[in-house]
Amino acid sequence: MSMTATKMLARDWRGGELGVLVAALVLAVGLVSGISAFTARLQTALEQESHRFLAADQVIRSGGEIPRAWGEVAAEQGLDQAQTLTFPSMVYAGEDTMYLASVKAVSDSYPLRGELTYATGAYGEVLVAPRGPGTGKVWLDSRLFALLNVEVGDPVSIGEMQFTVAAAARTEPDQGASFFGFGPRVLMHMDDIPATGTVQPGSRVEYRYLFRGKPAQLTAFEKYLKPRLEPGQTLIDIEDGQPGIGSALNRAEQFLLLAGSLGVVLAAVAIALAARRFSQRHYDYVAIMKSLGATSGAINRLYGRSLLLLGAIATLGGCVTGWAMQELFFELFADQLPVQPGSSGSRPYVTGGVTALTCLLCFAWPPLYRLGQASPLRVLRRDMPLETRQSLADYALGLIAVSLLMWWYSQDWKLTLAVMAGLAVTVILGLGLALTLLRGGRLLGMSAGSIWRLALAGIQRRGTANALQVVIFAMAIMLLLVLLLVRTSLIDEWQTQLPEGTPNHFIINIAADQVAPIEAMLDANGITSEALYPMIRGRVMSINGEDLPRMEDTDSERYQRGSNFTWSDLQPPGNTLLSGQWWPPGTTQPLVSVEASFAERFELEVDDKVEFLVGATPLSAQVSSIRELEWQSLKPNFFLIFPPAVLANYPATFMTSFHLEAENKAFLNRFVHRYPTVTVIEIDAVMGQIRSIVSQVSAAIELVLGVILAAGALVLIAGVQASVDERMAESAILRTLGARRNLILGGLWIEFSAIGLFAGLLATLAAELSFYILQTYVLEMVYSPTPWVWPLGVFSGMLLIGCLGVFSCRKVVSSPPLAVLREL
Amino acid sequence: MIKVENLQKRVPMAGSELEILKGIDLQIKPGESIAIIGASGSGKSTLLGLLAGLDEASGGRVIVEGTDLSELDEDQRALFRADHVGFVFQSFQLLPALTALENVMLPLELKGQVDARQQAEYYLGRVELGVRLDHYPRQMSGGEQQRVAIARAFAAKPAILFADEPTGNLDTGTGGHIIDLLFELNQQEGTTLVLVTHEKRLADRCQRRVYLDAGELVTGAAS
Repeated sequence: MSMTATKMLARDWRGGELGVLVAALVLAVGLVSGISAFTARLQTALEQESHRFLAADQVIRSGGEIPRAWGEVAAEQGLDQAQTLTFPSMVYAGEDTMYLASVKAVSDSYPLRGELTYATGAYGEVLVAPRGPGTGKVWLDSRLFALLNVEVGDPVSIGEMQFTVAAAARTEPDQGASFFGFGPRVLMHMDDIPATGTVQPGSRVEYRYLFRGKPAQLTAFEKYLKPRLEPGQTLIDIEDGQPGIGSALNRAEQFLLLAGSLGVVLAAVAIALAARRFSQRHYDYVAIMKSLGATSGAINRLYGRSLLLLGAIATLGGCVTGWAMQELFFELFADQLPVQPGSSGSRPYVTGGVTALTCLLCFAWPPLYRLGQASPLRVLRRDMPLETRQSLADYALGLIAVSLLMWWYSQDWKLTLAVMAGLAVTVILGLGLALTLLRGGRLLGMSAGSIWRLALAGIQRRGTANALQVVIFAMAIMLLLVLLLVRTSLIDEWQTQLPEGTPNHFIINIAADQVAPIEAMLDANGITSEALYPMIRGRVMSINGEDLPRMEDTDSERYQRGSNFTWSDLQPPGNTLLSGQWWPPGTTQPLVSVEASFAERFELEVDDKVEFLVGATPLSAQVSSIRELEWQSLKPNFFLIFPPAVLANYPATFMTSFHLEAENKAFLNRFVHRYPTVTVIEIDAVMGQIRSIVSQVSAAIELVLGVILAAGALVLIAGVQASVDERMAESAILRTLGARRNLILGGLWIEFSAIGLFAGLLATLAAELSFYILQTYVLEMVYSPTPWVWPLGVFSGMLLIGCLGVFSCRKVVSSPPLAVLREL
Repeated sequence: MIKVENLQKRVPMAGSELEILKGIDLQIKPGESIAIIGASGSGKSTLLGLLAGLDEASGGRVIVEGTDLSELDEDQRALFRADHVGFVFQSFQLLPALTALENVMLPLELKGQVDARQQAEYYLGRVELGVRLDHYPRQMSGGEQQRVAIARAFAAKPAILFADEPTGNLDTGTGGHIIDLLFELNQQEGTTLVLVTHEKRLADRCQRRVYLDAGELVTGAAS
């Protein structure tokens, strides 16, 4: 056959037959590739961000020096390296001024990721440093200038070596690594360490070996390291970087995957519908070609080639659309992103192509294949029924294909299962319910006026077709509702996690006699702080009489470990008891309330007896309750809480947290000048970053939701169109018989909105089910019923389908009936 | 040469069988023109469908140009149609998405004819539509559409042309022109013409008329 597929497609395009099919394909590919590329790029960006918090891609943390060979292996594998060494040490300025500081020695190449900043004076302008201090120089924490009474250029000494103060140390990318550090920072050069004589075997030091390289190099190095690590040596990589942002972003990623998967399902349904209509409209075409001598093989080849060509064009179009979609997003939000978006690579587009191929093979090909079997006799007998009945095998093929696509795309079988369960409920309940309801509608209609009788008779006559349509509409509406529900609950959760006024500064190391004046100073400046909590450093030694091993002697998490204690008569807000009971106020019994994850790590239960060591004094207490708390609340939180009387005789410092607006930052300088021994931890910058990431991810989610809505609309249009021909023909005949415009439009309106109503009901039911499964098992959030979705689902279903239906059939009243009949 | 022996067609209907053709015997000579006449529902179109190999018989044989159609499957019949048979239909059966020229080219392309375009242009010229090659069916009147269909039928140079009520959708004047055109081309091309019609005027132009009544051939008289 010399008639080419290109020609046929071009002709069909001119004839307007391909619109929905092409749009559905482009959308499927665009959604999949766009969302994949978007997620991939965001992920790379966020990984970089986490790397920044590590100042490297990979870090070995160790209490002692690591074998020299490891560094050589890293160098062989092409990794860049840097070292840091952190230890507490006295810093002297002259004979009698000294202060306990947290000294950090860094090598020349530090940091490997992120920026080190300094200032030329104690509170001068903050500048980016290409590297840390040179040999013989130190940078001091701004507070130390006042505490040690020194200026830039003055000498200070650490151990046996004298240094020159060269600058103020401001921020380090991996500052958070020692959150509750032991004092103000002093930065020095790694090479000066031997000369100070401060680091001896057995000193309390932390070595960090930093590495930077390509993912493959890092993986190879990790493989080399893992079996060689000894207790006390830990390999830290990006996943451990930022647990706070992590969970929010994981969910966002899951949402995007879910959205993408739903988009694929929607697009697949649209493709199936469009292909079915396409094939129905081509029956006559094929019959004529066959009467003129085309064999079924030739027809199949022709349509197969057309489909492949269509697939190729749509894949290309879809990839461009997907690329443009995510590019537009990053373009719009470029200056708000904390980091440059990474590159997505080609995988998203391969995914898009595979999606197109699968959709075409499993959804578009079956109806087109049956075209080959069309009877040529149709040229003589137009009234011959179309052999368009979908076989069970078609549905099974479609279902399997959709599940596999979703699973392949999301790599998450729970997510796939949640959506498939919702879809299954829609289909099974749908067909049953729809048939019953439609039959009920008929009985009601018998006694109604003519417009209703007409509409309900229409619904009844096309019973099976309508039931199928209800199911398809319900599927589309369900998927959209699920997405809407998940999105709303995610964004709500993020907003409640970091509401306005969340504490963004911590002050620790407050001496007992400073509590009252500090409270007064905060009050006087209009700053509301959390209560001041006492803080005592202690160590868990034994549980129920069994001594815990020392850290270096065990691989488990259960070892003698230092922790912060506090006391309280009342259960602190934000703490929920999981088991046991809170003690009565004023109790003198030796009790302790334990945080849930801590209890889990130490395998603690209520009534267990625990021995602690506070300083050099032993303390024993009985577990009275296990608590859960909101770590994300950024309020002072403690693993272990005792009754006040129990800790009364131990030396305590106090801590609190408060919210400070950016414009009031100057307060901090006054505060630090007045209380130089108190440590202020500023987390406003980090929180600002979390906020901006969350708002960008929310924006991304809204964008994706919008695109999926478009996919949903496409399904609805394809679904309505599928039945338009028949309805048009009927309406045209009615018009010929003299029915007025309003009667016909009214009938169509009632028929379509009834279908929409049933679809909306079903969709809402199935959406609640899917949402429940997703919340509980996939996103691990708390499910609560969402009554608002019911009216939304039902009424939007009614309105949407009603309007779309009438709109699609409007031609029947706007053009002469004969023209309508002729065109069909 | 068409030879029909004891041709039967039955279709299942509501539990029983409806007998549409009850054993037809008929011979049509090469180059002959024959009209099959009968009331609505007498089985005319069914007979035409079987003669043209568009449908399968329930019994009996149709031998066209020495080929027994009952021994062919649908694909072999399609190839047979491409080589030997042309059609003109009551409802024209032009493909709406194709221009007049493309419609005429279609069967030639299906046969793999390289000069499809030239042939199509030539035959459209013969039906006096040489200036409307690029018009779509919807831009043409019924008579013009039927002329395109006639051009399409003859362009493939079929041995036999089947026409199903070719003037059924046309007014008397236009129908007359179409009849003239059909017979003129038939004569020039030496085609065997088998047509189904109600119209006496059309039947009268044929060399022979056969009458179908309730699935049986009643008379077969030479004109």
